Amino acid sequence: MPFLPKTSPESETLYTDLLAAAQASDEGLKKLFYQPDIKDLADATAKSVDMLLRFIQELVSHCLLRTSRQGGALCWSTRPRAAAENIRALATNERTLYEYVEDSHTKGIWLRELKKRSGIEEKKVERAMAKLESARLVKLIKNIRAPAQKTYMLAHLVPSDDVTGGSFFDAGDLDESLIEEVGNLIVFHVRSQSWEERKVYSKRPPRAESPIYINGHGGGGEAEVGSKRKRSPDIEDMAAPHHQKPSKHRSHRRRSSPDPEPYTLQQIPHPASPPYPYPSTETIHTWLTTTSAIRQSKAQQLTLAEIQGVIDVLVWDDKLERIAGGYRTVRGVEFRPPGFGGAVGSGGGWGGYGDGDGDDEGEGEDEGEGLGATRNGNGLTQVPCGRCPVLELCGVGGGQVNAGSCVYFREWLGREV
Amino acid sequence: MAQNLNDLLHALVESHTGNLSASIFSTLAHHGRLSLPTLASHAQIPLRRARTGIASLLEEQLVHYIAGEEDSPALYSANLEGAYNLARHMNVVRLVTERHGEAAGQVVKNILQLGNARVGDLAEAYNLRPVSKRDSAISSEHATSNGYHKSKPSPLHHITSASELHNILRTLLQSGILVKVGARAFISASDFKEQIEETVINEQFPDRKVTGPKKQALFAGAVRQLKRKWQSDDAFSEAQDYDSKGTIKRPGQHFTAPNKRAKLNNGLTNGHTDEDSGPKLSSDLIVRVDFTKCTLGLRSLRLQNMAKRFLGNTTAAVYGALLQAIEGKTHSLHVETDPAQDEDDDPEDALPVANTREVAEFLVVGVDLSGGGNYVGKGKRVPNGAGKKRRKNEVIEDVEDDELEDDGSHPTTDGHMSYRDSAKRFEDIEAHLRLLEQHDKIFCKYTRPGIPLKGWRIPFGNLIETLLNDELDATINALYGKIPLRLIRILRDRGKLEEKAIASIAMMRIKDVRGVLAEMQHASLVDAQEVPKENQRQPSKNIYLWYFDTKRAQSLTLQHTYKAMARTLQRTDVEREECRTIIAKAERTDIKGNEAEKLQQGEKQALRAWRETEERLLTQVGRLDDVVAVLRDFSGTDTSLLS
Repeated sequence: MPFLPKTSPESETLYTDLLAAAQASDEGLKKLFYQPDIKDLADATAKSVDMLLRFIQELVSHCLLRTSRQGGALCWSTRPRAAAENIRALATNERTLYEYVEDSHTKGIWLRELKKRSGIEEKKVERAMAKLESARLVKLIKNIRAPAQKTYMLAHLVPSDDVTGGSFFDAGDLDESLIEEVGNLIVFHVRSQSWEERKVYSKRPPRAESPIYINGHGGGGEAEVGSKRKRSPDIEDMAAPHHQKPSKHRSHRRRSSPDPEPYTLQQIPHPASPPYPYPSTETIHTWLTTTSAIRQSKAQQLTLAEIQGVIDVLVWDDKLERIAGGYRTVRGVEFRPPGFGGAVGSGGGWGGYGDGDGDDEGEGEDEGEGLGATRNGNGLTQVPCGRCPVLELCGVGGGQVNAGSCVYFREWLGREV
Repeated sequence: MAQNLNDLLHALVESHTGNLSASIFSTLAHHGRLSLPTLASHAQIPLRRARTGIASLLEEQLVHYIAGEEDSPALYSANLEGAYNLARHMNVVRLVTERHGEAAGQVVKNILQLGNARVGDLAEAYNLRPVSKRDSAISSEHATSNGYHKSKPSPLHHITSASELHNILRTLLQSGILVKVGARAFISASDFKEQIEETVINEQFPDRKVTGPKKQALFAGAVRQLKRKWQSDDAFSEAQDYDSKGTIKRPGQHFTAPNKRAKLNNGLTNGHTDEDSGPKLSSDLIVRVDFTKCTLGLRSLRLQNMAKRFLGNTTAAVYGALLQAIEGKTHSLHVETDPAQDEDDDPEDALPVANTREVAEFLVVGVDLSGGGNYVGKGKRVPNGAGKKRRKNEVIEDVEDDELEDDGSHPTTDGHMSYRDSAKRFEDIEAHLRLLEQHDKIFCKYTRPGIPLKGWRIPFGNLIETLLNDELDATINALYGKIPLRLIRILRDRGKLEEKAIASIAMMRIKDVRGVLAEMQHASLVDAQEVPKENQRQPSKNIYLWYFDTKRAQSLTLQHTYKAMARTLQRTDVEREECRTIIAKAERTDIKGNEAEKLQQGEKQALRAWRETEERLLTQVGRLDDVVAVLRDFSGTDTSLLS
């Protein structure tokens, strides 16, 4: 390490002034000073350009200033004293490498690029970088665009969104649970604004199924409800699909409902005109960033484009539908109350809703009965042939596979295989 | 590829008319148009049997024939469409039952079984031979044996009088589900077209030259005109086809006549036979089911179901009414555009329009409109009709749908609507229609301002595509899961994409995306286009753009469905073979009708199990047909079955 004389008081003042000016500016330490800027600041001490040059050189050699070139003109930026201290302690090679890393700023620099630019021997570069890393001067980051490449960045910097991939990446890895959670929150928010939901106490047991046209089901029972109250709706209007396919899953849920009086939720769309203000991407974004459901620092990072991305995925997943410049949840789509990890209890406002994973929805028989969410299956996927792994061979050239010998059909028709 | 369809048609014909006819049908389908002797030699059956087989096929309209000149031998060709339609029987019956009631469903079922039926025979069968319902299953099953002559339709107890039957038939004829079998019913579509063209050339173009744009336009116009004339000649008309003892009807007025609605009501079985039954149909009238109209109806049902999934029951009921109103004005699945129209016209302007009043007429009284329109329906409810399934029978004469004002409100108690109530009802209906219009899928559209016709249209073109995509999505969802479906939807929306782009749009890990795409590629649902970056075209440096081809997925799924249908039908045969002895025993003349006493407990159980199995398999064929209808028929542009 070359011996350096103590900085002169004049340059010391200049450095303090520059540092103060940099910290006062918006850019902070990134603030670039051009020659005239420095001259302005240093009016009192630096009598001439020569003097100024000498001070600057002195500061640069003490690593307190960093030289860079911007549009053909030389310019300088300040370094904190502690960092300068560290750099001064470095060997020449390390210092060169450090400067390259510093130049790359929040984008980071690829190890191979470092080797190429510095022209230093490969082994030495690696050793130097390891040393820098252990001194906590640089850090290794993961670039989502090139996850396999070793990318270095100064230790105290936060990588830019380009490098990290934005809010939905956690240490270069896609944060799927965050996406899911944000999606779930959006569904919750949009749903609360897109359907008029009424809890309706139905006198009829929820098993009654009526063909499409008989939703007028006579006057009888409903007439007693009273003239002010609206008629109780048809059972098929209910958002709750629990009466359709009793599965183990559902019967468990029903059992857990202590409410002896069966009620059902009815979803009613808002009127078409005047246009109902369905939440748009902007309002959803505003809501998300202000809600306390997401940690404040994370919420602040979420950009409009990222939210739009999640919304698009929800649309493709048949959870939301576009309507009149905004979004509405697809009829019957439900959200997962936080902390319930999939299974939904019958308590609270979402009694009887499915868990939204869609796996057991509309599995079956009557497509018309299904709710808005994606239909799962049709006539083709119900027959064994729809899923048959050997369909290509079936009935070909008198082979062994044919309708008569089919084991899948046997199984399907409830025989022993 | 065609193998699957041929298998299916063979299986369908076999299960419907027996294997002699099936082998004749397959021979015809394979060889094209044949005369009877050639047919017999190709099919390797004696001429006499070939004649029997052809006769039963003709009865079912499963073959077309044409005899060029007098005395020249008739040439037969397979009616592929007709054969396929055998698979649609169940859905047609479902449609008719839903719209016109249980009894009408039974009538249609019987007519379907017979192919075509004389009204007189139908009436006779219903009135003279009351047989229990149970029996019918066996007799229809019996019809599959070789060369067996069809039994008379198995009647049901709930059609009690001839006038009820006539009412049903008339309703069905008016709705277009049944059509009269005319002289040209057995000619294939292409022959029909040729005959028309030949006639036009003979009559109007003596030099037999149709060249030049002007002449061609003239020719096309004349052909269209003659086609329409022939079609209307063959169509059912009240003037011709009623028994003369009825009241005199002016032709052309039957559809809008004010008493028609009352008749429609009587056509439905609401328990009572009515006194002033309309004129009887001529006993010699031969009717068959018009499958185009039925497919139209099934399409409406499908669209209505889709609306129900997205907007709920009430809105869907209103949509169903709109669809039915429009259906009455539609004749073919494919929207025919008149070339004579101005080119800068919106093609949608050609679509039929229905106004709110028409919708109200088709809407079942008793649908609570307030439930769906939300705030729009906060007033008091429209009084409910007394009956459950009765059509609205008062026609609101003096209400124009665009001048609804709240005046002259006299709440009535006798079940008739006051002026105010009907205005309210119209408002509610419009609110529902607007909901449908506003939806992402655009279920209907109000006509643009500036054109004289006001009302609601259904943009079928886009909706059919939506239905198609929905069907493919349902298949993909069930077979592969939600994530593949998401990726396929992304590819459909965004076009060709590289896997990195797909991963970032789908918010998934690129590794997972790669796996899913590979699986989909294996299933031939998506494919990748290779775009080289360099001249060397190294595979590792190429860009792969993934895409989803709807057409391909559609035809693949269709073939898949054909195959599944054929196998399901074949399985029915296998199952039947397993219970052959018991079925044969149950069909013995001494046992038939007294199964309860003469069969042993175990046999009865086996018979019941077999019936359940058959029912299950055949129901599944009907569901598969639903898929085929969406994938192939609803657009009306498919020509794979035309002969």
